[in-house]
Parts: sequence; structure tokens; C-alpha cells
Amino acid sequence: MAKEVFYSGCAAAAYGAKDARVEVISSYPIRPYTGIMMELSKLVANGELDAEFVHGEGEHAQVSIAYGASAAGARAYTGSSGVGVAYAMECYSPAAGGRLPCQMAIADRALDPPGDFGSEHTDVMGARDQGWIMGWAESPQEVYDNTIMYYRIGEDHRVQLPQFCCQDGYFVSHIPGRMKLEDQKAVDEFLPPYNPPHPLDPNRPVNHGPQIFPDQGSAINVQRAVAFDEIESVIEEVVKDYNKQFGRKYSPFVDEYMMDDAEIAFFLQGAHARTARFAVNHLRKQGVKVGVARLRFMRPFPTKAIQESLSKVKAVGTVETSTSYGGQSRGGNIIHETRSALYPLDKRPIVTSFMAGLGGEIVTLNEFYAMAKVLSDAVKTGKANDSYWMNFEKEVLDTHK
Amino acid sequence: MSRFIIPKHLEVPLGAVLPAPVKEQPGMITGNWRTERPVIDHEACTTCLNCFIYCPDACWHLDEKTEQMVWNADYCKGCLICINECPANCLEPVNELEFPDGVVRLEKPF
Repeated sequence: MAKEVFYSGCAAAAYGAKDARVEVISSYPIRPYTGIMMELSKLVANGELDAEFVHGEGEHAQVSIAYGASAAGARAYTGSSGVGVAYAMECYSPAAGGRLPCQMAIADRALDPPGDFGSEHTDVMGARDQGWIMGWAESPQEVYDNTIMYYRIGEDHRVQLPQFCCQDGYFVSHIPGRMKLEDQKAVDEFLPPYNPPHPLDPNRPVNHGPQIFPDQGSAINVQRAVAFDEIESVIEEVVKDYNKQFGRKYSPFVDEYMMDDAEIAFFLQGAHARTARFAVNHLRKQGVKVGVARLRFMRPFPTKAIQESLSKVKAVGTVETSTSYGGQSRGGNIIHETRSALYPLDKRPIVTSFMAGLGGEIVTLNEFYAMAKVLSDAVKTGKANDSYWMNFEKEVLDTHK
Repeated sequence: MSRFIIPKHLEVPLGAVLPAPVKEQPGMITGNWRTERPVIDHEACTTCLNCFIYCPDACWHLDEKTEQMVWNADYCKGCLICINECPANCLEPVNELEFPDGVVRLEKPF
């Protein structure tokens, strides 16, 4: 039976993994994601989940264990945060290139120095180009749902790719929300057991990850490119099925709020979208035509859905929660690909970016009001800077007053 | 319909997963890394097996019928450690170009 609960994002991820019937779990502690493993180890110890629980000696080992388990044909689960995500960097491309659909839960965290533990997308955004599926949830419910959906997307034979199932550290991972755990039978129906192309079989032994020559490298890269050409239609299918089976209302790629008549829009991923929607409610009362478009997948970057959504407005502000020092915008990451996605359109909005929520700071309502002011001015003047660092530049100073 | 056209000679198994070797991996011939190969003088060889022991790629073995050492051309990378370790001085480095089947180009590994 489905069950109403009040869970944090960490517990939601653990129960998502449990209901996905993961078979091998590899752990190593680092906050904030570690709450997921605490919950899972209890479930395994209590006999509620029949899975191998393996302790890695670090994150590099964790992902290597998930790689091996997935190669053997198991549904594998691991996770990390912050510098832990960075430490496992070497393992990401082999898992994707080897087409092993293990899942890594990310409760994001700022990178050092100094030793900040707040939420920031910078950690796993550094691994965005390795061939993993990647997207952020904004609530514990979405964490649970994504955990289950990502396995079905990743394990689809048209895709066969590992997944970063991300949530904002603390804002989602440690704040409980009302959510629904679905009936195990219904989840089993939605997510059948993993059908690996090369299950561990003594009669049919295989080599994973052999040495190859450089002229084979390009062909392996093309395989991943083919998968990312196919993946958008698979995601659409899976999200549609999930919505139907469990009565959700997810749009596959871009979650819109008051976008239909909007003139300006906040474009962002993850938990801060909630605050953005409240800011929109307040701003609408003052007559500002503003909306929110929330990105549900960073990889694949859903170019078409973004074009459809953001072409409705005159100015877009990407709210960056990660850094791209020295990048074109001299700010964050999302603006680069957003502008690039909108460039071929005949009528495209002004795109700027706001550096907010860095180091795990809350993005306040006042900050969103300041952003709206910059965007409204941009509509009037037709101009905006590439990036604004909230509270550190004259256009966006003193937003905490 | 995929936009990609994969030429026959660039076809690679999905995820580069290959049938595992029973003895040798025909999918990964490494002998073509070689510029020189060790050539044996069977008269001088004492079959002490030093070459067998020291070869990092197991490219020497003793054929018990002929009682001669046998060299593996497919996997010898030409490191010539065997020559260094041979106490009978029966091994000679010879340039690959001296042989009609000498390694002068990269072969397709699989």
C-alpha cells in the first residue's frame, strides 16, 4: 500500500533505492548525503532490504564497487557529496563508456577551500560531461520519484547509462517534506528487474574495460553520443508512464510556473525554485509579469524544451548555484548552455545570470526581487550584463535589508 | 533514425565489452607495439627458463616435445628484458623491418 510520510530528502532517496530493489550498495561517509546510507544500512540490517552493503575505503572505491556490481548484472547504488564527488572523478567516464547503469545519489555540497559544507551544485557539475544522466530534485517526493525513474531510464537498452540523481544538500536532503511512498508491487510493475546485456556467467565470460587503441576511442565516444540522441524520447516515455501510474504531474524537462503570460523568467534547477515561486507570487501582486522555469535535467540538456519555454519571455535570468570561474559569463554554468540553446531562435530573450546561493547560502525573496528588477530593466533598456554576483555588485547590493 | 554512420572498420562492441580470453585475447594484439624482437639461437640456448620467468607478458614458453623455447609474436612488445636476463647470450635483438612479416603498422585490435 502507498503510504503518506514526512521524510527528508536523504530518507526519500533511501526509500527510493529500497523500492527500486537495489542489490548492491557502496557507501563512504560525508555529509550531507551520508543520511541516505544511514537509512539504507538500517533497512539492510533490519532485513527490510535484501542487498549487499559494502563499505568503500573512499569515494573512488565506492564508484568502483558500483561499477563492478553493475558489470556483474546487479542494480547498484552509491552516492556522495562535495569533495567526495570530486575524489571519484576518475571512475565516472569508465562507468558511462562501459555502459553500466549504476546510480549515484548526490546531495550537493560546496567544494573546498575552505571547508564549506553548504549546498552548492559545483561538486557534481564538474562531472557533467562524462556521459552520466544528471538532474536535480526540488523536494523529498521528487527525490524518491527520480530515484525510481532514473533506474528505468538508465537501464533502458537504448540508453544504458549511469545516473547522478541529485538533490540540494540540506535544503532538500535535511528538510523533511510530506511525501508518498508508493506500493512496492506498483513500483515493481513500473521498474522491472535489471536485464543486463552481459550478466556474470561462467559459460560466457567477458572483459569489461579492455585496453583499446586510439582509433577505437572515437567509436566508443560515438556510442555515448548515440545514447544521448535517443535519451530524450526515453525520458519522455518514462516520465509519462510514471505520471500515469502514480498520479504525478512532472513535465519531463522543464517545470513551468506562471510562464504563459510572463515577460521575465527565473531559470534554475533544484530547491531554490520553491523560493522563486513564492517570490513570483509576491511580485505578481505588484504587477510584475514573472515566471519560473525549473530545469529537471542538466544531462541531457533539453534544448528543445528550453527553447519552447524560454522563448515566451523577453528576459531570462539563470540562477546559478555553481561556479565557472573564467567562463564566458564570468559567473556560473547554466547561462552558457541556455544562451547557446536559444541562439538559433529568430526571436530570443535577453539572457543574464545571477550568482546566488553560493557556499550554501539561502537565496532569499529579496534576492529574487532584486533579480526581477535587473530583468525588468533589461527588458526596458535591451541590455544586461553577463552575470551579477548577488550582494556583491551595485545593481544587486543590500538585498538582505 | 540515427544521424550517425558507423563505418564497418570502426565498429566496436557496445561499451567495449569483449568476449573474455580463454588463453590469449585476440581482441587486443599488442605485438605491433614492437620495434625490435628477440631472436633465439637454439644451439646456444640451455633452456634455463630465465626468459620464461622474466618476461612480463608471458611470451616465452618451453615446448616439451622439441625441448626448445617458443616465442609469441602476437604479444611480445619488444622490451628485450629476456636478452638482458639470458645467461647463455643466445638472444639477439633484431629490427622488425628485417622481417617480411615485421610490424610496421597498427593492426585493428578488434
